[in-house]
Amino acid sequence: MAALIEVRGLAYRYPDGAQGVRDVDFGVRAGERVAVLGPNGSGKSTLLLHLNGLLLPTDGEVRVADLPVSEETAPAVRRKVGFVFQEPDDQLFLPTVLEDVAFGPLNAGLSAPEAEARARVELRELGLEGQAERAAHHLSGGERRLASLATVLVSEPEILVLDEPTAALDARARRLVVDLLRDRTETLVVATHDLEVALALCPRALVLDGGRLVADLATADLLRDPDLLERHGLSAPLA
Amino acid sequence: MSFRHLDHWAEVPSLVTRLAPPARLLAMVAVALGAALLPMGAWPQMAALLVLVLAFAATARIPAPAFAARLAGPLFLVLLASCAVLVLAPGEPLWALGPIRVTDTGLVRFGSVVGRATPALGAAVVLVSTLRFPELLEALRKLRLPSAVTTALGLSYRLLYTLADEIERLRRAARSRNAGHGAAGRRRTAMGIAAASLVRSYARSERVHRAMLARGYSGALPQLHAQPMDVRSVVVLLAVSAIVLLVVSSAWL
Repeated sequence: MAALIEVRGLAYRYPDGAQGVRDVDFGVRAGERVAVLGPNGSGKSTLLLHLNGLLLPTDGEVRVADLPVSEETAPAVRRKVGFVFQEPDDQLFLPTVLEDVAFGPLNAGLSAPEAEARARVELRELGLEGQAERAAHHLSGGERRLASLATVLVSEPEILVLDEPTAALDARARRLVVDLLRDRTETLVVATHDLEVALALCPRALVLDGGRLVADLATADLLRDPDLLERHGLSAPLA
Repeated sequence: MSFRHLDHWAEVPSLVTRLAPPARLLAMVAVALGAALLPMGAWPQMAALLVLVLAFAATARIPAPAFAARLAGPLFLVLLASCAVLVLAPGEPLWALGPIRVTDTGLVRFGSVVGRATPALGAAVVLVSTLRFPELLEALRKLRLPSAVTTALGLSYRLLYTLADEIERLRRAARSRNAGHGAAGRRRTAMGIAAASLVRSYARSERVHRAMLARGYSGALPQLHAQPMDVRSVVVLLAVSAIVLLVVSSAWL
């Protein structure tokens, strides 16, 4: 099967000269679930931003559903790739949760009543129907994370890209997010430090270190390789 | 910080809240403009405009104490800024304290400034109290305010609260390390917090912009609850404009 996401020879250098990623090659098939692992500063977020056209390669190529990601194709790519950012406050920028969830559908050209109806359905599915009219900063950390997921799921993307979806969540909220993502059928790319979450969600893992892809293997195999984990700033779950 | 504290009466059903936001905005601008155009000493006309504003406030079911409290802050600033007029204007002295003399012309000018400012500020209070901020933005957009301005206003409103929380976290972190002994120390800490929040705000604005692009943002914030300009709104707007015109022209004729 052809890859839904294809990354070939990807390199990105930030304007300040810092090398974000280099020589990254991998493909993700439709329906596949892939964890992107690595220590802080390994290039996980930089890589993910390329999948949505938010960063464009300095060198190499990224293709999403056969579209080469570029300035021109970015709007089409973004309709296929839903991106959930690490910090929900960055994603929830409108006065109410409902408006935030309806933002994507409105930008996609839906009328206000259609967008509102879809947003309300999505909020109900995530158990947030009571929070629709509230401001994001009135929500708990877990609710905020779910709301930021809702802002993306409402647009029904083919690919979900999540940057640290369980960061700063308590155990219950973390479980809620993992259960929610486990039931999704979209292609999933998840950057995380949390190997337990990676194992629960993604059969396949990509390990980045120093901006390079250093391993592409089954997540279970990665967890059985303490040397590999140690070498790249990762550690197996304590229990 | 409560996000809704400004929008409380915007949720109360009333004739005012049922009007289209652009109509409300234009009506209140008409009142403010009318007040500004009144000549000095046009007391009945100033009173008439104030009565009009109070009628709007009552129709919008804004309690009198709340209305007065919201009006008091900006009105106090006007009083403060204009009290110099009392003693600077030439005229017949009415009252003197050493070299400071309040003149009759000064009193009329001061009264006129306050008399014009009260209905104008009252109109602004009614407007911001009965209009949710997104509706106000939509009204400004409909009135062709540049998109860059309305977008910046919208994001500032939301992110103001995030920024306030961030500043509070920084202050707490500074306090936890016993920062800011003495006035100079407190100044240094405050400057450090201000600088850190500025840098963080810049970084956050970059991240928010990315999050907007990721969800299809293309330069304009779409509005969910766009209230159409209906016949009733047009009629009320025309009626208010006519009353204001009548009041202003009666003062000049």
